[in-house]
Amino acid sequence: MLLVLSADHRAHLGCLPRAGSAAVGELGRLALEQLRRGAAPRACEAAARKLNIGVDTIQHGVEGLTYLLTESSKLMISEIDFQDSIHVLGFSDELNKSLLQLYLDNRKEIRSILGELAPRLPSYHSLEWRLDVQLASRSLRQQIKPAVTMKLHLNQNEDQTARVLQTDPATLLHLIQQLEQALGEMKTNHCRRIVRNMK
Amino acid sequence: ILDDPDLKDIDPTVLKHCHAAAATCILEAGKQKADISAISTCLEDCKLDKERIEQFCTEYQKNKDALEILLGSIGRSPLHITDVSWRLEYQIKNNQLHKTYQPSYLVTLNVESSDSGSHPDVSFSCTMEQLQDLVGKLKDAAKSLERATQM
Repeated sequence: MLLVLSADHRAHLGCLPRAGSAAVGELGRLALEQLRRGAAPRACEAAARKLNIGVDTIQHGVEGLTYLLTESSKLMISEIDFQDSIHVLGFSDELNKSLLQLYLDNRKEIRSILGELAPRLPSYHSLEWRLDVQLASRSLRQQIKPAVTMKLHLNQNEDQTARVLQTDPATLLHLIQQLEQALGEMKTNHCRRIVRNMK
Repeated sequence: ILDDPDLKDIDPTVLKHCHAAAATCILEAGKQKADISAISTCLEDCKLDKERIEQFCTEYQKNKDALEILLGSIGRSPLHITDVSWRLEYQIKNNQLHKTYQPSYLVTLNVESSDSGSHPDVSFSCTMEQLQDLVGKLKDAAKSLERATQM
């Protein structure tokens, strides 16, 4: 699958050949930092001074590289497809190789950063449990009522919430049975076939 | 009681008092898990004759278990799990990332609250490993329950 680069994009990346190989390394580093931490105008200014190129050009170059890397990582394009996609920019072989290396080295990290942007439901974090026996209450003395009290820790968008829940022994066994069935589903032929065919 | 034809000859106030007194007596007996002799003694002190005491005790015995269950269910407790539903899905892509190829589970715990009638179900997603962790912990709880009952 080839990446289609717009005219603006190509213009932004156009600064790379003029900048030289050291600059490409520097711009690559800036692009990755931008992905990890967000835009850093001071770093771009420092790079512009060091490489003797205009700040705007550096900025565009970094943005162009960022977009190139994120799109390639998102689509998980192969080496050959990547090379073919940037071929249209008309860069030197050496520059193409550096870009390819930059892509391959950082693909996994970029994918994990992109993975955090997806919509999410509260997700499981952990479970604490405790066995309780109720012996008496205001309405009834001399009871023996076993119960399992649980604290379910969930993550939602970096907030951790804890819910306190309770269940009786019979329901607990039912829960275990149902969830074990759920786990077993991934191992059935049906699911295995789909996973195989989707790759 | 006020509409019962057998009782229409009795003064309504007296009826209400009798009803309240009988209810209180039954509830107290149920709460303390009193046995027949304790109830009989109590009623004797109230100057009821033998026949009435016997009738009362027989009726009480018949409904004792239901009464205990009812009394035991009164009271507050944390949200009580009644059931669980799950869904297994296989993620292919999202708008930020293609070719994700990850199975994931969506689990919903059906929850009942003793106070209000509302059912605030708890839903969460988890990976296969996380679900295994959850099931492992639930099984530990069940095992310790078993051990406790054998003590």
